[in-house]
Amino acid sequence: MESKDQKKHRKKHSGPKAEKKKKRHLQDLQLGDEEDARKRNPKAFAVQSAVRMARSFHRTQDLKTKKHHIPVVDRTPLEPPPIVVVVMGPPKVGKSTLIQCLIRNFTRQKLTEIRGPVTIVSGKKRRLTIIECGCDINMMIDLAKVADLVLMLIDASFGFEMETFEFLNICQVHGFPKIMGVLTHLDSFKHNKQLKKTKKRLKHRFWTEVYPGAKLFYLSGMVHGEYQNQEIHNLGRFITVMKFRPLTWQTSHPYILADRMEDLTNPEDIRTNIKCDRKVSLYGYLRGAHLKNKSQIHMPGVGDFAVSDVSFLPDPCALPEQQKKRCLNEKEKLVYAPLSGVGGVLYDKDAVYVDLGGSHGFQEEGGRTSELVQSLISTHSTIDAKMASSRVTLFSDSKPLESEEIDNQGLWMPKEEKQVDVKTGRVRRKAVFGDKEDESGDSDDEDDEMSESDRSENGSSDNETEEEKADTEMTKYMTIKGVKRQKLEQEEESEVDLPAFADSDDDLEKSSGEEEEAEEADESSEEDSSAEGERDVLESKAVGEGGKARLLPANHWNDHLTKEKSSPVKKAALTTSDSGHCTAEEAFASEDASEESSLLSSEEEDSENGGVIREKLTKPLQLSSGQKLKSENLIDETSDIEDLLKEEDDYKEENNYSIETSGALKWKEDLSRKAAEAFLRQQQATPNLRKLIYGAVTQDNEEEDEDTQEELGGLFRVSQPDRGCKHKADSLDCSKFLVEAPHDWDLEEVMNSIKDCFVTGKWEEDKDAAKILADDEELYGDFEDLETGDVHKGKPSLDTQVEDTEEEVKEENDPNTEENAKKKHLDKKRKLKEMFDAEYDEGESTYFDDLKGEMQKQAQLNRAEFEDQDDEARVQYEGFRPGMYVRIEIENVPCEFVLNFDPHYPVILGGLGNSEGNVGYVQMRLKKHRWYKKILKSRDPIIFSVGWRRFQTIPLYYIEDHNGRQRLLKYTPQHMHCGASFWGPITPQGTGFLAIQSVSDTMPDFRIAATGVVLDLDKSIKIVKKLKLTGFPYKIFKNTSFIKGMFNSALEVAKFEGAVIRTVSGIRGQIKKALRAPEGAFRASFEDKLLMSDIVFMRTWYPVSVPAFYNPVTSLLKPVGEKDTWSGMRTTGQLRLAHGIKLKPSKDSLYKPILRQKKHFNSLHIPKALQKALPFKNKPKTQAKAGKVPKDRMRPAVIREPHERKILALLDALSTVHSQKMKKAKEQRHLHNKEHVKMKQKEEEEKLKRQKDLRKKLFRIQGQKERRNQKSSLKGAEQLK
Amino acid sequence: MATQAHSLSYAGCNFLRQRLVLSTLSGRPVKIRKIRARDDNPGLRDFEASFIRLLDKITNGSRIEINQTGTTLYYQPGLLYGGSLEHDCSVLRGIGYYLEGLLCLAPFMKHPLKIVLRGVTNDQVDPSVDVLKATALPLLKQFGIDGESFELKIVRRGMPPGGGGEVIFSCPVKKALKPIQLTDPGKIKRIRGMAYSVRVSPQMANRIVDSARSVLNKFIPDIYIYTDHMKGISSGKSPGFGLSLVAETTNGTFLSAELASNPQGQGAAVLPEDLGRNCARLLLEEIYRGGCVDSTNQSLALLLMTLGQQDVSKVLLGPLSPYTIEFLRHLKSFFQIMFKIETKSCGEELKGGDKVLMTCVGIGFSNLSKTLK
Repeated sequence: MESKDQKKHRKKHSGPKAEKKKKRHLQDLQLGDEEDARKRNPKAFAVQSAVRMARSFHRTQDLKTKKHHIPVVDRTPLEPPPIVVVVMGPPKVGKSTLIQCLIRNFTRQKLTEIRGPVTIVSGKKRRLTIIECGCDINMMIDLAKVADLVLMLIDASFGFEMETFEFLNICQVHGFPKIMGVLTHLDSFKHNKQLKKTKKRLKHRFWTEVYPGAKLFYLSGMVHGEYQNQEIHNLGRFITVMKFRPLTWQTSHPYILADRMEDLTNPEDIRTNIKCDRKVSLYGYLRGAHLKNKSQIHMPGVGDFAVSDVSFLPDPCALPEQQKKRCLNEKEKLVYAPLSGVGGVLYDKDAVYVDLGGSHGFQEEGGRTSELVQSLISTHSTIDAKMASSRVTLFSDSKPLESEEIDNQGLWMPKEEKQVDVKTGRVRRKAVFGDKEDESGDSDDEDDEMSESDRSENGSSDNETEEEKADTEMTKYMTIKGVKRQKLEQEEESEVDLPAFADSDDDLEKSSGEEEEAEEADESSEEDSSAEGERDVLESKAVGEGGKARLLPANHWNDHLTKEKSSPVKKAALTTSDSGHCTAEEAFASEDASEESSLLSSEEEDSENGGVIREKLTKPLQLSSGQKLKSENLIDETSDIEDLLKEEDDYKEENNYSIETSGALKWKEDLSRKAAEAFLRQQQATPNLRKLIYGAVTQDNEEEDEDTQEELGGLFRVSQPDRGCKHKADSLDCSKFLVEAPHDWDLEEVMNSIKDCFVTGKWEEDKDAAKILADDEELYGDFEDLETGDVHKGKPSLDTQVEDTEEEVKEENDPNTEENAKKKHLDKKRKLKEMFDAEYDEGESTYFDDLKGEMQKQAQLNRAEFEDQDDEARVQYEGFRPGMYVRIEIENVPCEFVLNFDPHYPVILGGLGNSEGNVGYVQMRLKKHRWYKKILKSRDPIIFSVGWRRFQTIPLYYIEDHNGRQRLLKYTPQHMHCGASFWGPITPQGTGFLAIQSVSDTMPDFRIAATGVVLDLDKSIKIVKKLKLTGFPYKIFKNTSFIKGMFNSALEVAKFEGAVIRTVSGIRGQIKKALRAPEGAFRASFEDKLLMSDIVFMRTWYPVSVPAFYNPVTSLLKPVGEKDTWSGMRTTGQLRLAHGIKLKPSKDSLYKPILRQKKHFNSLHIPKALQKALPFKNKPKTQAKAGKVPKDRMRPAVIREPHERKILALLDALSTVHSQKMKKAKEQRHLHNKEHVKMKQKEEEEKLKRQKDLRKKLFRIQGQKERRNQKSSLKGAEQLK
Repeated sequence: MATQAHSLSYAGCNFLRQRLVLSTLSGRPVKIRKIRARDDNPGLRDFEASFIRLLDKITNGSRIEINQTGTTLYYQPGLLYGGSLEHDCSVLRGIGYYLEGLLCLAPFMKHPLKIVLRGVTNDQVDPSVDVLKATALPLLKQFGIDGESFELKIVRRGMPPGGGGEVIFSCPVKKALKPIQLTDPGKIKRIRGMAYSVRVSPQMANRIVDSARSVLNKFIPDIYIYTDHMKGISSGKSPGFGLSLVAETTNGTFLSAELASNPQGQGAAVLPEDLGRNCARLLLEEIYRGGCVDSTNQSLALLLMTLGQQDVSKVLLGPLSPYTIEFLRHLKSFFQIMFKIETKSCGEELKGGDKVLMTCVGIGFSNLSKTLK
């Protein structure tokens, strides 16, 4: 805030202002025309090529339409819920510090420990719910689904971490919320250049992930363990002005980020069984769509539940009221974080104690905060207190019964005292009310700053006192007229067995009245005493009338009425107080009351009550008829039209009766009649119709009947005659609406009654053609004919002026005409505007504009429709609207949820649409994430996050062939989409999802395995896998073969008759018929003759089934500190690894060394005839075999003599010696030769060397000579001469 | 575990169609007990069984359990599938009985529905096919259900007790419905009608037309009543005749009335003149009731409003029929939706009886069966 020297003014270089200035400058220089290039050089801007022109036009149009989004109806509520800001980042990056700084920035309050969401008021129209997101992937997934804005903290000294990318990918799948990066730890950089470089690098990487230009904030350093104020302030500003676009899933589903949880289970149940299912109430702002009571919700990490009750509470962190100020007051900067125990907010089982003391809570604005406190207290009364304040209406128009009236007297709820023990004064006061009526009498009636809830309490207690007083009077009277009364009582007691008639202020309470008679007589205050005096007079009158017993309670009722009159406000307060927790039927009662929260209304109600009372009173006199009436009343709960009418008739009769009897009390009679009239009017009006339809919805009333039916002898039951409703239950199911009482359409007046329904009838003012024409004439009377230039005047203006003046005069006289004139004026204005619009737009409105206009109209209608109704009624019609602070009761919650509750983990209640709670087969388009290291295997359990849910299931992957067949894949393809099908919860098509292998272990790598979108939902799947059946021919005819080994029986063959088969070599064929001989063999025909070595196969498709396995990830049920260790079903691979079981592959799958047999070729044989026909050159030229040596030429074997043998041996030896000698000599010669060659070589070399030297010498001499010659030739010309 | 939505339980066979249809749309199972339990002939009738069979045909994965005597029915709905189908309706009730159910379901199928229904086209109990064609189809169009394949064609007429009629109903698939604001019915500009006769003298139809015109002519001159005399195979198996009248307003509202002759062998013979006159009077009654939707289609309009986007829809109706009232209760129990009901009296204008303005916020229903391509 410390302002330094102000920034220097910078001249604008662009924009309209700058242009204007430039133009003026140029004009000053008288260069104006030259500036406009179009004017200066028109040829350059002329159309050169029509084609190019068209192209450029197309391009601009394309660009324009590209910018369009499909318009959606704007359904954001007028008072939107707080924006969910998720602060996300890896550990130790500074998340908590940032949250603390932000809270301190907005509220000037410091939170030491932050647990769960923190709601703060950040501006006049904006609230924020800030929540921290750790690195548990469960938490990341859950929070990405509810986030509106993500502050993504990045440790700049370290760079991006895997969590950041994982979170970004999760966000992308579940609708992309706004994402803002925040760089921290920037002070760890020593060099500025390094810092700059890092910033730039990180920024660009961030941009590629989010979108180019995404905002990245730099928190440069810490001061005293906190970020710099200015930077946080700027960040806060960015957050408060940020705009959000609607995300499909979030806008179509209601959801709550619970900021408070309470266990409502009966402590006794917990004591007996600590593991019993709990009843839990959760609190939070409703976001997204409207939430209906009794709808289905899902709690990520816990499971599916049905909402057992919803009620809305006053906003604990309300926006400031509308005021024309720039910034907020200090007191309007609220924080609400019950889980963190903010500002002394303590919560125990069913009450919340808010202590905003200390700072400035109370002294400036007692009313407001106290209202907050009081409302909190009043709404979270204990169950018993609720029971106490609840009322039951037995008759459709009887006075609601309160539990005290039914219960024995003097049973004061201890729970109310429980609420007392809070230090603040206001709460203490409430406690006082809880005690007894004496304090309420003296202190609080005049208390001005009493809050609403106080009043309601007060009112109720007052009521009680009144009733009790009335009772005392009754008893008083009883002492006088004891005998009569006794009789009456007896008669009434005889009817007690009809429980429906235990009426409100009746003898059931009498005993209580008797007991407390003495005390209460003393305690009556001054006002009351006066009223009592009156009453006494009346009483005496009544007595004087001559013991008409029935008049007395009528009197009593009148008393009651006067009392009511004296405190109508209290009554109203009473009716609104028990709003939060009422059953459907009660809601009606309370609604009725709240709608007519006026004196009249209370009278009406009373008249209703009175009616019943009186009805009772008629009984002693005409007992039999009374009984009849009652039975009718009993039946009227079946709520048919006729019944209702009958009921009304009854009521009328009763009213008349009452008027007759109580003729003496004139003013009161008048009153009652008025009330009765009003009541009747009301009866005809809407609530009645609504009551008729919704009031007595009995879903299955038979059940109770069965119970009540007593058994006779254990086997037989008393057959009761069918009642009306039962009769109805089996009647004809027809949608036609038959006319019961047809009109006589021959009568003139009947005919006239629908005269205006036809075009021939009278039209409404604004639609009557003649009228409209006249109006138009008046409006557009004068016009100028452009062609002729004539000016037509509609009417002489003087006249109109005169008229106007006349009208004005009239106006002064008559307010009615004034209104008319106003209306007329408005009409005129509207018409002019329409005309202008039409002229201005001139058919420019495109389809897109029209669509947008329509949506806007719808949005306006949505807003306006229920605006004027109070929240109670609104909630009934449209459900709880987003922005409300609601309390949701859920039953049958696992006890671990309560026992292991960790406020750091978000508790989300996600509303489910219709049939989203059901399960079926879900088909999706899936792609393995490109950063995930492995591929995914079919039938491996994997965890999906779809919609609100996280669950483990077993998917099958498939790919769709061109003919639509879905073929099973064993593994997901690497870089391609494939289909996936699993059995699980039905989620609308188009919902994104992601898959992770496990949520427990922190893998070093990227954890998101796959992403995709839901395509289809069904109750069956048609994924097939290929199955090839093979067989072998065992007999081959021409084109027919007998094949065996493909099937096992003739039956199987019969199933495949006509199927296409094929050999490996490609010969196609068809199965014909089964054969008898080898079982399963068949006859098949082929397009060519087979060989015995051929293999025949048939391609078939075998349907596979998806395992029906659906296992929600119940991470919130894990003990505190182990919430990120949920593990579900393991894959077979993991199991094998864990148990050390090695996979035994089938032998066929093993690789073996390939052994190839040597191919043996037979010799080529050419038939003789062919050989003969061949030309000579092609004839095989085999050598003619050597003929046999004839015997005569064969030489005889020589057999030597011993002597000869000796000679031969000697010769042999000699020749050996010789040859040996020769060999040696040869070797020697060879050696000699070698040496000789060597010597020769040497000599040669020497010779060469010599020659070389010689040559060298020679050349040198030659060279010298030449040089000399040259020298001489250069200078020696003279010499030569 | 995503538990199956807790089922609803009812007693008695009345409003069976409503319950089954709403169960199918909401995905909640329904159990109906004590179906004619006290009757001499207990259990489901033929026509109800036929309706259940029809539901089974158009859905995939439904589970239907009926006990031995047929007095208890458990229905766990599947997903609406659609496609080209044929169904033989029971002749005990008209095709209208089945068609009314189909009209509610047809826009939310996986594949566009094209179904051939055989049975009784016109009878005295159910709204006839003519009336549904003239009133329900334009009503559906108001909700954005439209397309060239959206039609209801009467191929053959069949009268009770023999039946033998045939209609073809085809309806495109929609993902979401438009909200409607039908608060002004407009003024009746024309009256059209269809006088049909099968297996009786063709003169009957003409006689009906004359008598009906004699009544209606006092109100509006633009009346045209077509006569439709079917012969041969397209005339079904039983003789009969009847008249259906439709009044169209300037704002596209259709109000209808109809009457059919007594089935052969039941009750006294009806004079065509009487029938025509009575039918015309019925139309006048319907006009007296008024509203933007005629009395037979009230429930259909309310259902489609409920199933709309999360926007406000309004419709002005005549007095609510008992069927509609029960339907509203069912809507509340199945969809937790409540209508704001305001009575509008006509005041000075001569426009018949009091009207009821029904307002609701749609539940944001989306067609879960439709495949995303």
